[in-house]
Amino acid sequence: MNVELQINNSVSPGARFVSWAPSPCRIRVTNPSGATSPTVNVQITGRSTTTGGVVVFRSGTTGAFGNSLTLAVPINGASVSFFVAGRFGRPSINNGDVTIEARTGTTLVGSVPVMVRVRKNANLLTAGERDRFVSALAQLNNQGMGRFADFREMHRTSISLAQAHGAAGFLPWHRAYLLDLERELQAIDLSVSLPYWRFDQAAPNLFKGDFLGVSNSLGTVLLSAANPLRFWVTDGVPGINRRPFFNTASAPPGLFNEAQTLGLSTQYRLFRNMEGNPHGLAHTSFGGFIFSPGTAPRDPLFFLLHCNVDRLWAKWQKQNGRFDPALAASYDSNLPTGNRIGHNLPDTMWPWNGVTGGQRPPTAPGGPLATSPGATAPGPSPRVRDCLDYQGSLNPISRMGFGYDDVPFV
Amino acid sequence: MAQKKKAAKSSKSARKAKSPAKKSARGGMAVAAGARKPTEERIAALMQVPLAVCEKDEDLQTVLNILRNQDEPIELRLAALQVIQAASFSVVTFEPCRGAYIATLREISDDPDPELRQRVLGTLAREKDGFVQKKLLEGLQNPEKALVSPEKALQLLSYDVHADAYPVAREILSKSPNADARREAIRLLAADANTAPVFEKILRDKGETTEIRQMSAAALNSVRPDKLQEYARAIVLDDSEDDELQATSLTAITQFGDQETVANDEALLAHVGELKNKATAKVKQGARRFLTKYGR
Repeated sequence: MNVELQINNSVSPGARFVSWAPSPCRIRVTNPSGATSPTVNVQITGRSTTTGGVVVFRSGTTGAFGNSLTLAVPINGASVSFFVAGRFGRPSINNGDVTIEARTGTTLVGSVPVMVRVRKNANLLTAGERDRFVSALAQLNNQGMGRFADFREMHRTSISLAQAHGAAGFLPWHRAYLLDLERELQAIDLSVSLPYWRFDQAAPNLFKGDFLGVSNSLGTVLLSAANPLRFWVTDGVPGINRRPFFNTASAPPGLFNEAQTLGLSTQYRLFRNMEGNPHGLAHTSFGGFIFSPGTAPRDPLFFLLHCNVDRLWAKWQKQNGRFDPALAASYDSNLPTGNRIGHNLPDTMWPWNGVTGGQRPPTAPGGPLATSPGATAPGPSPRVRDCLDYQGSLNPISRMGFGYDDVPFV
Repeated sequence: MAQKKKAAKSSKSARKAKSPAKKSARGGMAVAAGARKPTEERIAALMQVPLAVCEKDEDLQTVLNILRNQDEPIELRLAALQVIQAASFSVVTFEPCRGAYIATLREISDDPDPELRQRVLGTLAREKDGFVQKKLLEGLQNPEKALVSPEKALQLLSYDVHADAYPVAREILSKSPNADARREAIRLLAADANTAPVFEKILRDKGETTEIRQMSAAALNSVRPDKLQEYARAIVLDDSEDDELQATSLTAITQFGDQETVANDEALLAHVGELKNKATAKVKQGARRFLTKYGR
């Protein structure tokens, strides 16, 4: 007898990735030989390497997760659904370091390797995780000729920056932006997720030649010979300009730490002031590209900085139960006036909406938001409201397929 | 009357609910402006509320006055710059303040403090400010007017390919005041496809320093990546070549080489196999990654 396991309701290897949020799965019998009844009991478990990810299961959309699950599966090939999630605190390090196995009795009848893929603290990555990320990023840049140029263009001019800053949509826009970039990286290497720079803590491993580089006194970033970011090109010019105004063996001074940021307010309209501190001050803790809004994405550090900004928002959402756009405290709709275009809950967001002219920039680089084999949300042209329930806490269909190592689902 | 009182109380409560943040901003600005307060306290006050800088003109002027006042402690002036720049990320809300900010930066672009001067020039250069581009070019042509080192000036001019810096960069390339300036000249010229032959010449020349050859490789890569692959191959095959260049060349081929071409290049594959066993540590690392990719 054999069974087929579909992770994220797909047989595609590209869909074999889960985070802390439950992923919909299916199991069906593909070869019923040996079966003696219309259904067969199949036990589903996860088998992990010592340092690998760990997965848990449940049969429906509610209820507790367990280390295993037994399902009665019809032998006629009809599917039975179930859910799998990463066990919080045990993410994968490598692709396929946890295998989902299906057994009838003691006989293995099906298996599929998966990865518990979440965004991690950049300072704590393994060498393998770091190298895969850096390699994928360098390939996306492709010596200045790659798709990365679109991400650079999205954050250049004052009219494009207005789509993303200085109003309520700052956090949702950047969430979509990072997700778009991350999915492009995953199209190069499925095992990659965007790491975050935890800017309220020392991150010495980040500012090394094998990762995002060491700065000399001129502000030129020096990278090791084996680091493919040596070939980083933006705006036709090779290299990265970054000059820390602090000792990178410690954290930049003056920024709100995590507790202070999360404590800004329980109301989004006040919490979003984190755009100034810590976000703005993190940017301006360095001279070079990242100091100015129009040049910041030329430095790869920009994406790790914003990943931490998004993580802080995610943590604040979890802490305060702010996933529901219908809840006034979850967002700042600036009633009765409303926000400018692109910052209201029902608004689609530039550039993914392809809208140009008028109050939108004259061009829309990059096209629709990248798709993922493992998640359908937020769609090719996300609205602001689509970016709040990123783990599908309220509606499973809203799950975007990413999570943070220190922000649980439940 | 009772209804009116209730409405007034409700309105007062709503205003009160807003006050803590506003109060904090007001208090912060007052501390920042307080010349008799300890510098650390003034800096901490500024850092608390960067977005408040642009909320009221008097607050903006407070911070700009700190920034331009040479009698203020330099740490405070640098913090003022950092905070206003942080506020500038909120592009639309900062727009009313932008004119005064840029004007102040231009005013202090020749400040006697070198660190502040450099940060100010960098900020304006990233804005592609014509005023500062002109000053930087003047400084390169006439060192007595230089506001920063030539290498820094070239680095800042590279933010704008339309800064008309190519002629002076070519001059510096042929007659460099120092190695850093030469390197930055190459980097700036990387956006100019016409300079590709110069990059090739420098890369071929083993008499040039490793750093200059590396930068030429990077510059060539940005205008003629196909050429860089040819040179990278030649460098890997040449055991008399510099280790750093060999290692970087291996990275270039591993990451960006045409897979089919490389997979069929038996001479290259065999030689890299030897490098994996015999070369220095950094070359070995590059060789191992290359061979892993090509299944050897």
